[in-house]
Amino acid sequence: MRVRLKDITKTYGSLKALDGVNLLIEEGDFFTLLGPSGCGKTTLLRVVAGFAVPERGEIFFGDQRINHLPPHRRETGMVFQNYALFPHLTVFDNVAYGLKARKIDAAEIRSRVGQALDLVQLSALSQRYPTQLSGGQQQRVALARALVIRPRVLLMDEPLSNLDAKLRVAMRDEIRRIQKELAITTLYVTHDQEEAMAVSDHIAIFNQGRIEQIGTPSEIYFRPRNRFVAEFTGTSNLIEIDLTGYESASSLLEGDLKGHRIFVRAVRKPSEKKVTILLRPEWIKIAKPPYEDRANLFSGQVITSTFVGFMVKYRIRAFDDQILTVEVQDPQPYEVKKEGETLHFWFDPDRPVVIPDGSDP
Amino acid sequence: MKRYVTLWNLILLSVLAVLFFLVIYPMLSIFFASFLDPEEGKFSLENYEKIFRLPFYLRCLRNSLWVSFLATLLSLAIGVPFGFFTSRYVLPGKSLLKTLATLPLILPTFIGAEAWILLLGRNGWLSNLAKTVGISLPSIYGWQGIVLVFTLHFFPFVFLMVEAALHSIDKSLEESAANLGASPWHVFRSVTLPIILPSILAGALVVFYMSIENFGVPQLIGEDYRVLAVQAYNEFISEMGGNPSMAGALSMILIVVTLFLTFGQKYWVERKNYAMSSLRPPEVKKVSPFSTLCMSVFCFSIVFLALAPFLVVLVSSVTRTEGPVMYFGQLSLKNLGQAIRIAPRPIFNSFFLSTVATLIGIVFGLAVSYLVVRKKGPATYVLDLLMILPLIVAGTVLGIALASTYNKGRIVLTGTWMILVLAYFIRKVPFSVKTTSSILQQIDASVEEASINLGVPPVRSFLKVVVPVMLPGIAAGAIMMWVTTLAELSSTIVLYYGPWATMTVQIFQYIGSGDFGPASAYGTILIVSVIAPLFLLHRFLGREFSPNL
Repeated sequence: MRVRLKDITKTYGSLKALDGVNLLIEEGDFFTLLGPSGCGKTTLLRVVAGFAVPERGEIFFGDQRINHLPPHRRETGMVFQNYALFPHLTVFDNVAYGLKARKIDAAEIRSRVGQALDLVQLSALSQRYPTQLSGGQQQRVALARALVIRPRVLLMDEPLSNLDAKLRVAMRDEIRRIQKELAITTLYVTHDQEEAMAVSDHIAIFNQGRIEQIGTPSEIYFRPRNRFVAEFTGTSNLIEIDLTGYESASSLLEGDLKGHRIFVRAVRKPSEKKVTILLRPEWIKIAKPPYEDRANLFSGQVITSTFVGFMVKYRIRAFDDQILTVEVQDPQPYEVKKEGETLHFWFDPDRPVVIPDGSDP
Repeated sequence: MKRYVTLWNLILLSVLAVLFFLVIYPMLSIFFASFLDPEEGKFSLENYEKIFRLPFYLRCLRNSLWVSFLATLLSLAIGVPFGFFTSRYVLPGKSLLKTLATLPLILPTFIGAEAWILLLGRNGWLSNLAKTVGISLPSIYGWQGIVLVFTLHFFPFVFLMVEAALHSIDKSLEESAANLGASPWHVFRSVTLPIILPSILAGALVVFYMSIENFGVPQLIGEDYRVLAVQAYNEFISEMGGNPSMAGALSMILIVVTLFLTFGQKYWVERKNYAMSSLRPPEVKKVSPFSTLCMSVFCFSIVFLALAPFLVVLVSSVTRTEGPVMYFGQLSLKNLGQAIRIAPRPIFNSFFLSTVATLIGIVFGLAVSYLVVRKKGPATYVLDLLMILPLIVAGTVLGIALASTYNKGRIVLTGTWMILVLAYFIRKVPFSVKTTSSILQQIDASVEEASINLGVPPVRSFLKVVVPVMLPGIAAGAIMMWVTTLAELSSTIVLYYGPWATMTVQIFQYIGSGDFGPASAYGTILIVSVIAPLFLLHRFLGREFSPNL
């Protein structure tokens, strides 16, 4: 089912939870709302489910406008953050609950609940009560309960936030597998950017009730439209440089930062004099002596050095007063720098990204 | 897009209407009546002027405040250590101790007063016994007796509050204070006490309410020591020189005092509420045999002092009596038999009225708690505040207000059994509201939303998912409501008429006329009826009884 949201606005008192949100979710798409807490993403999910009523705007499932439909007639399957399992019902009865509400006959209920429990690999526990299950198992029951009614849209509100880190990774792969298997349109809410990237076809970055950017995980990561998106989608070094030249033949932009010359590939010449560029930590490389005279070769003082095994993470001071994060994968034992040492680094002019709307939001 | 005519809004409206017609409107009408001249019905401040000019009325006010204040203080002195000992230390027979300690709350106070008359009254068994060896025991009559009975009945409010608060402190708090170098006493003073203080004060406030509104005890053993609750009643029923508007004025003063305290406490508590999600409650410590003995002696003596008088009532009910003269040691089933076989009507009345009031209370309590917990908004906030009213309006006052409001005009209820049911219901429904809303608070709203999301309409979702989970709590609240209604005297004494006299009225009148035999017979039946359901509740639902105020 294709879901379309038009100009959704919702306020709580003086707080604008949703401010003219427009969205299109294609049939079978895994669509994630990503943003910090309090940005309105959960509110939007609840608007789709019908638990929050927007002051303005329209909600369409396919071509049907569903604003007037009460929550219990929207045919959405929602997985709640705390699972919201019925404590007085067994796993089987929890999953069967929505089918019984639809007056489906007992034999079919049995077979469909069986299938749903198979899908989440919980058939063996169907007679248990929710309190007898682990967090991950409860999560699967909640998922089975939402899927068994064959909802038009699957809604998931931070479903993994109550699980520990390892289980979270396993469950998100599982959710992704099931979603693809059923090809069900899914609206997923999370504040964890890694989780969002791992499961989604498309991501909408949310901030203060507005959508900052919509795109595939790769678009969001490699081509953030503004500072907020750049900072929210991973560790970011944002550097503001003065534009000193642009060569259209090679699409090479030349800038100045405290007397250092910086080259960045840019498709078109920026209109502003000040240009913000994004340099992800992993795009920065360590330069080894002898230091050749190559473009974008600089040095800085190590402020902190964090060795985590497969990687060493530095915070360095460069360009006088700019703090940069640098991540070096697969470090050699002898090359790990200590605090106070000098680090030489460089980056390929192709890697940095010019942020179109670089000014602080 | 917002719909205003929803089912829950209609329910909200009807709930507010019930509160309006059963509390606010009657209270307002006696409020206005208190400004009327008793003879001519014109506006006048005469009543208030009299209260503050005549030493008699001022003394009533002072007496009320004095006994309530002392009872509160003594309840704190007993309840705080009691709660601390039982929740923090290993004591022998603790679960029995805790169960026994909560019983005084539901045992009728005026039967407690009767018991003390039997022990320390003019012809009291203990007094007589002491006289034979030449000792003169202090008499139970007067303010000392009132304070004694109040304290022994109401200290469990403080004890239960303290105990609950102590259980909800995470043990890491006290451990970290100790780790920082604080001695045990210093930890208690600087960490534990400030955290449980709001609960202690909430308990103290309940003791104060219960004391200032109590009618039976001061009426029976106060003698010349008049308090407001008694005087308001006297002004109301007195056939000669009776002055209902004076009763109204006295009632207003009672209400102002309690309202003042309530809002003071609410204001203070809201700023000092240290809600905690406790994961690990503090350890229950084992201490030296001597300390254990001292604590046990303290706790068991208090419980003994509070409950032993009721044994006297039980014994009296099977003792041969002739008028006020008791022949202790001579067994007779005459009084009990008479109560059960010859005059069972009061028993039936009590059971019938309590049951009807409780049934209404369950439905009302469910609706109010749902509104207050789940449909938060300005209107439900007001509703939450209004639910305090039935608690703080003295039973006699509410009785007077209802009787004088509904004795003429379109709706005449005075002199019917319905007015008793309504009075019981509104007075005791806070019990039901409190228990149901505290359990509803523990059920996350998303459970209901999950049901709605799966296709079950809202009201049916509530009935299918929330109510089953709440059932044990609802049952506990209902039983609490039922037993406290059964023991209710103060509004009954104003509102009952001939055929609808309840057990409590019957007992009260027998005590008044000195017929302790029949009084004890009905008293025994009442005590058993009140304790049995709690025993069943404990047995079958495995729930600790708690009045949850």
